[in-house]
Amino acid sequence: MKTTKLFRNSKTILGKCIRMVGAITLSLSALSAQANQLSAIQERGELVVAVPQDFPPFGSVGKDLQPVGYDVDMAAFLAESMDLKLKLVPVTSANRIPYLQTGKVDLVISSMGKNAEREKVVDFSRAYAPFFLGVFGESQATVKSPADLAGKVVGVTRGSVEDLELTKVAPSSVTIQRFEDNNTTISAYLSGQVEFIATGNLVAAKIAERQSNRDLVSKFMIKNSPCYIGMRKSEPELLSKVNTLVAQGIQSGKLDELSIKWFKATLPEELK
Amino acid sequence: MAYNFQFSGLLPYLQNLVDGLVTTVVITLITTVLGCLLGTLCAAARAGQSSFKSKVVGVYVELIRNTPFIVQLFFIFFGLPALGLRLSAWEAGTLAMVINLGAYSTEIIRAGIEATPKGQIEAAKVLGLTRFQTFVRVVLPPAIQKIYPALTSQCIIVMLGSAVLSQISVQELTFAANFIQSRNFLSFEVYFVVAGVYLLLSIGMRQLFNGIHYLVFPNLRAQR
Amino acid sequence: MNEFTNWDIFQALILAARWTVVLSLIAFLGGASVGLLLTFLQISSRTALVRIARFYVELFQGTPLLMQLFLVFFGLSLLGIDVSPWTAAALALTLFSSAFLSEIWRGCIESLPKGQWEASRCLGLSYFEIMRHIILPQALKVAVAPTVGFSVQIVKGTALASIIGFVELTKAGTMLNNATFEPFKVFGMVALIYFLLCYPLSVASRHLERKLNVTG
Repeated sequence: MKTTKLFRNSKTILGKCIRMVGAITLSLSALSAQANQLSAIQERGELVVAVPQDFPPFGSVGKDLQPVGYDVDMAAFLAESMDLKLKLVPVTSANRIPYLQTGKVDLVISSMGKNAEREKVVDFSRAYAPFFLGVFGESQATVKSPADLAGKVVGVTRGSVEDLELTKVAPSSVTIQRFEDNNTTISAYLSGQVEFIATGNLVAAKIAERQSNRDLVSKFMIKNSPCYIGMRKSEPELLSKVNTLVAQGIQSGKLDELSIKWFKATLPEELK
Repeated sequence: MAYNFQFSGLLPYLQNLVDGLVTTVVITLITTVLGCLLGTLCAAARAGQSSFKSKVVGVYVELIRNTPFIVQLFFIFFGLPALGLRLSAWEAGTLAMVINLGAYSTEIIRAGIEATPKGQIEAAKVLGLTRFQTFVRVVLPPAIQKIYPALTSQCIIVMLGSAVLSQISVQELTFAANFIQSRNFLSFEVYFVVAGVYLLLSIGMRQLFNGIHYLVFPNLRAQR
Repeated sequence: MNEFTNWDIFQALILAARWTVVLSLIAFLGGASVGLLLTFLQISSRTALVRIARFYVELFQGTPLLMQLFLVFFGLSLLGIDVSPWTAAALALTLFSSAFLSEIWRGCIESLPKGQWEASRCLGLSYFEIMRHIILPQALKVAVAPTVGFSVQIVKGTALASIIGFVELTKAGTMLNNATFEPFKVFGMVALIYFLLCYPLSVASRHLERKLNVTG
């Protein structure tokens, strides 16, 4: 039969191709890294920032589908202070680090928490926003600690800090359903596909405020995990520039202003 | 930009990949059987005498064939609970795939049925076969034989489409890839390997279908 | 905060559907050009060329479009080539549709009776002349209906570009869903718009098929 022969051929070609791809990748990885990223950004005149579009109040969309939120205003503040044009790239929790690694964005300002795994591939600025991770559910649900979750279904966004932390503390009988982005996680809760979700307190408050068919209250807190700005590793010039600007923003009251606008409270003292 | 490829970084996650592969295979198997069955029933309804049934099937086929699978999936997973039917991610994903394959196979099988010469059906009637007997014994076998390549290709396309189930947290192969990527950030390595696994899966499925074809339709052996 | 009326949602979705249409057109044109080249490779008499083309087709027909998108989007960047979601989506969809189109077209050419080749050769026509005057005109006629039919698959395939952050119809749907928390309504509208885009193509494809079956 003809196809059988074709498959046999394609297998040997496959082998060749794998070897070829291997050779190409080896030679490419030998290329040297480009110089200082900060000067590259300044030369370009544009700051490219990854922001969330599915995580109110940090980032969601307005009627014209443009991103709005605390993270978006934070990005605008940085670009303005550096006298650069701003380009926003909407990302999800799952793909924001690949965006950074592959040089598609200069900074990730996307309510990103810090952990050991991420610190291997990302450098973090100082904290710029508060974030308390917790488990949330309907008011009548009687859950007060991770142990009470036994046998329950909890939704979480894959690759987020809440995913990693929940995976650590939840008993083995908990079904953790991991979704691609926060939007899907929230939809899964609102449509009743999961009984609880693990997310940030501010996010949960926003969801509770906007919709009415299923209430959402805090069950217990997992971790205090403030948000940091992420950038590629070993870019000390960029890192120190961002840190200086965040510190300035905190001192001048600019970040408090943003915090009141989006979180309805000033920044907590420990961030200052 | 310097980047070192680290395929060894995938080794700790081998179990995730194997689990994902098993889920993909199981879902594909269920979908292939149920989807083709659904397609046969719907094709019979389309070719049958009830114009109402034929129209209902027609609407179903057109709706499914003209909207993206991912939108259908979101509908079943997020929309059906509002109507009181709550399915787990796994059930919702499998249901979406069966419905999807059902629509495509309806069209394919119908084309095969329509190619059956009228004379054969009349001959069956003269011989005293019931309509059911005529359909199962006279119309269906040559129809299936004729459209077998198209039908099996569609099954493979649906298997590849199962990658989208990762979006509603079904823990199949692509979910495993995304999961690993979110833990070790080796996106290219993971996707490269998993794409290879999918390729082997589709080649394997094709070979398997060819084998079944050979067994089920022995009259074709002479032609090879 | 944002208060979205049904009309706001619909308007935003229609605007985003522009990009679905544009991306579909690019993918179709790109896929057709590459696909045509592949078709000629596939029916050439050089074994090596046939094998390369066959491998290409197997590769892109045998892996999920979602994987191809991920690999183009993240993979090429790691190799030092910067790709935007636009480029990645256009490239991956071109690769994907060229494989399927070339397979459809090869089938059309091979469906013509072998005798036509042999007869033309006996008449002393060159390969080019046989193609130009005998094979292609007939194959083209057979190919129109399945090609239009496949364009529906391309339109639907663009939905997956949403996953790498390309803002088209499906992505706009998920974004609006997140702002409104009304998945049923939003995805209902998304499905409706896809249907309005795809159904005319499906009908056209069937119509062409019937017309050609009658005359041919």
